[in-house]
Amino acid sequence: MKRIVTVLETETGSLIEAELDAEVTVDDLLATQREWRPYAIKAATALARQGSMELIPQHLHWDWTSKASQLDLLANSFIGLRVGASLQGIMKLQLVGDFCRARLPEQKGQSLIYLDYLESAPWNLKPLMDALGQQTRFNGIGSRLVRHAVEISLEEGFGGRLGLHSLPLTEMFYRDVCGMTPVGRDPSKQNLLWCEFTKEQANNFLAGARS
Amino acid sequence: MAGEKRTMTLNLTDPEMRAVEDLCAKKDVSKTTLLRQALRLYQLVEARTEQGEKFFFEDADKKKAELMFL
Repeated sequence: MKRIVTVLETETGSLIEAELDAEVTVDDLLATQREWRPYAIKAATALARQGSMELIPQHLHWDWTSKASQLDLLANSFIGLRVGASLQGIMKLQLVGDFCRARLPEQKGQSLIYLDYLESAPWNLKPLMDALGQQTRFNGIGSRLVRHAVEISLEEGFGGRLGLHSLPLTEMFYRDVCGMTPVGRDPSKQNLLWCEFTKEQANNFLAGARS
Repeated sequence: MAGEKRTMTLNLTDPEMRAVEDLCAKKDVSKTTLLRQALRLYQLVEARTEQGEKFFFEDADKKKAELMFL
């Protein structure tokens, strides 16, 4: 299933038509390795030379091709965000599994969608592009994907509930930009911060994203 | 994921229906969502078991109990 949305092109300030695609293929996963990784490593090298190691995204080692065998399972959903033929972001959702259980006291044990992985193309990440002395191509790719994860949670009957483990550099994004509740560190998952949307928070996030 | 949906009729015994309703209340989901969850989980376990993996529950003392699937 594909859905037409808009994303903000940085250079022109214009809204550009994009496509949310739930039919991600092995070719898409290969494209992240072939097109994204060399670009990301080049930018990370520039950041390191500038002495800004702390700004290097912690997901640069991710290999989406290792998840190819999970593409056909109903338990997962892979969503790509494209402009034209070019993949600008990708995420993997779990619709059932260990982490699809809410932890906040007011919804403890209730079903939620787990945002397992989310990545924007390196040319859409400001710290990387700043290091290369260039502008990002598109703004808000991560937010648009999170918004779609909430939309799927609503469509699938989870009321917007969403949970995820945040990498340290993205904690502020999920907490302050998205409005998720930081529930606590999870020793079973590299001590990453577990963040969660209640139904109400999810609706607030969608309302804010629309305005 | 979302897409064209088809309808099926499901006949359950009273205890089975009570189990469905209890789980729906606990998980705060509809019967349709609950049964789709069950199918996703079953397919996941079946796929991994077919690959030779084993499915365990672990208790608080870290003791593991292997589950068998038909």
